[in-house]
Amino acid sequence: MTALAAPARRRRHRLPPILLLFVFVPFAVEAFWVFWPALQGFYLSLTSWDGVSPPTWAGFDNYAELFSDPTFGTAFANTAIWLVLFGGISAAGGLALAMLLQRERKGVGFYRAALFTPVVFSLVATSLIWQGLYQPDGLVNSLLDTVGLGDWQRSWLADPDTALYALLAPALWRQLGYVMVLYLAGLKGIDPALYEAAKLDGASPWQQFRYVTWPQLRPVNSVILSVIVIDSLRSFDVVWSMTKGGPYHSSELLSTYMYSTAFQTLRLGYASALAVVIFLLAFGVIVTYLVRVLREEES
Amino acid sequence: MIEVSRRNFLLGMGALGGAAVLGGCATSASSGAVQQTAGAVSIQSNLSAPAAKAAIEALAKGFGEQGAAKAAVNTVASETFRTQLPSYLTSATPPDTYTWYPGSILAGYARKGLLLDVGDVWQGMGDYSPAFRTLSGDGTGKLVFVPTTYYWWGFFYRKSNFAKWGVTPPSTWSEFLALCETLRGKGIEPIGLGAGGGTQWTSSAWFDYLNIRINGAPFHRDLLAGKGRFDDPKVAKVLETWKTVLPHFDPRGTAIPFQDATTSLLQGRTGMMLIGTFFADAAPKEALEDIDFFQFPILDPAVPVAEEAPTDGFFASSRTPHLAATKEFLKYAATAPAQELYIRNSSGTILPTHPSAKDSGTPLVLKGRKMLQDAKELTQFFNRDSSDALQPTADTALIRFIQRPNEISSILTEWQAAAQKVWNS
Repeated sequence: MTALAAPARRRRHRLPPILLLFVFVPFAVEAFWVFWPALQGFYLSLTSWDGVSPPTWAGFDNYAELFSDPTFGTAFANTAIWLVLFGGISAAGGLALAMLLQRERKGVGFYRAALFTPVVFSLVATSLIWQGLYQPDGLVNSLLDTVGLGDWQRSWLADPDTALYALLAPALWRQLGYVMVLYLAGLKGIDPALYEAAKLDGASPWQQFRYVTWPQLRPVNSVILSVIVIDSLRSFDVVWSMTKGGPYHSSELLSTYMYSTAFQTLRLGYASALAVVIFLLAFGVIVTYLVRVLREEES
Repeated sequence: MIEVSRRNFLLGMGALGGAAVLGGCATSASSGAVQQTAGAVSIQSNLSAPAAKAAIEALAKGFGEQGAAKAAVNTVASETFRTQLPSYLTSATPPDTYTWYPGSILAGYARKGLLLDVGDVWQGMGDYSPAFRTLSGDGTGKLVFVPTTYYWWGFFYRKSNFAKWGVTPPSTWSEFLALCETLRGKGIEPIGLGAGGGTQWTSSAWFDYLNIRINGAPFHRDLLAGKGRFDDPKVAKVLETWKTVLPHFDPRGTAIPFQDATTSLLQGRTGMMLIGTFFADAAPKEALEDIDFFQFPILDPAVPVAEEAPTDGFFASSRTPHLAATKEFLKYAATAPAQELYIRNSSGTILPTHPSAKDSGTPLVLKGRKMLQDAKELTQFFNRDSSDALQPTADTALIRFIQRPNEISSILTEWQAAAQKVWNS
């Protein structure tokens, strides 16, 4: 408390106790509910623990094991694919939809609502719908048959070559509307005078986008990037409910591998090490990006 | 470094939750000696199929009508139940009693002191067969489980369909292959599987049966207990044999759960299916009368015949706050009238464990009971004879085998590596 007592002597900087309370109570809650469990998770990653007996100290064994674990390799590669495809398509698609639906036209509200609906759907409904579509005699296969692509029919979720990509569709279906709404909000915030000036200068629609819209969306972009990175690293529900990472780990993500290691094989220490890796990845990607953006803004 | 057990962790979180959220509202966490509390015995149940759920609720009601105490059923989805079981058992206020099965998981919890010693319940249970008594132990002689029902696995088919196709049940492997050929010739997928969409474990039944038919039950048990290796040539022989019949499997087998595979069987799109009688819990009653089964064909007459006979029942938490009432409930569940009540309310395709309790008496059940009685040895099922932690390794290996049967040796090498991790942890 000495650090706090020192500035308190200077009258102009005296903080009222109620303000201190406002700072420290949330901090204490945060520390107890977020920081402590996080540290706890890190501690567990250094132990081997079955969830019932007391954990035993294992040092960095769990991390060493990660390097020789082929399933971890698959999960890591799949997570990278997922980050690029899920992240890239939902950002690009969300922006495209937002551009398409930004102007107030008749009926535009209906389309916005329709695209946003999957976001509010419960996970159970989502996976039931898509599981039905992907069934061996589901809609996807019968559509392929109708358009003469019968050879393309397959058991989408049970085929190791297609399972991961088949899962991307429902995940994107849920994410696009969300990203679209974020971009719509960003687009609404752009001063129309900028477009008028650009038009007077004879800018083509592409130039308007390149030199007006895109730079103006920068703050929204950093929010969306964070959201997308976090969402793709914790993408779990759709994958778990539809394939559980299978068949034979072909659609395994780091998150599903963490869950199955923790709660199916009951190796909570190793699972905590996986969780730490996921955290470092999310943290690494986002911090790198934010640092770059902030530095650009300063200069 | 602070020693943190899950229990202390949960207690801490619980205490904080109580203080922060409810403003000091007391949580009734009792961590000391077991104490008697009023209220119903809670039965944590993973039986969510309609018929099975109705049966366990009838059992709870029947217990309530005895007058001593009441019981309340809390049904949880099977997957959730399995993953939450350690949390239930280690929580400060655990549910009293649980639907479960014997095997390594049971013994593991018992060794950690989480399960109630039910030796005194067993004393009043009468002349249960020694096999059930052995199953219910924790390996050190302490009894921690009360078996109530068991069932059998076999090739189920529709009698009317077999009659329509002009085929009869086989008894040897070559007859079985011939039957598959005949069905295939008639445009029917001979064998349904249902190892997709969350029920991949049904593929383990094939592995279990081929292994006990080719290598015998003792080898199978040792393998599953970690005393053997999956890259053993004897295991490779199991998959080699399986490979010969794989072309007769429904190609959708790894894409649909067993419930959908059951529907295909009842609709006559597949000819037969290796499954346990629990599939009937979700089947329409009128179709049940048309159902029959045959025993998994004999491959090597020199190997003593073993059958899979998974047993179900209850265990209880050692920290139950309703000690006396919980034991009353277990005693009740072990009686013949209670088991008959349960079977009457279920689909009726299970067998009671009580020696004098009557089963549903249908020809199907009589045949199933006789098959188990004639068997030289009984096994449980892959995850029961091994562990729930080993089951995912089997799912991964066997689904890959079904889809890529030419990779047997690399499949078995990877299976052994994955299993080794489970045994080492």
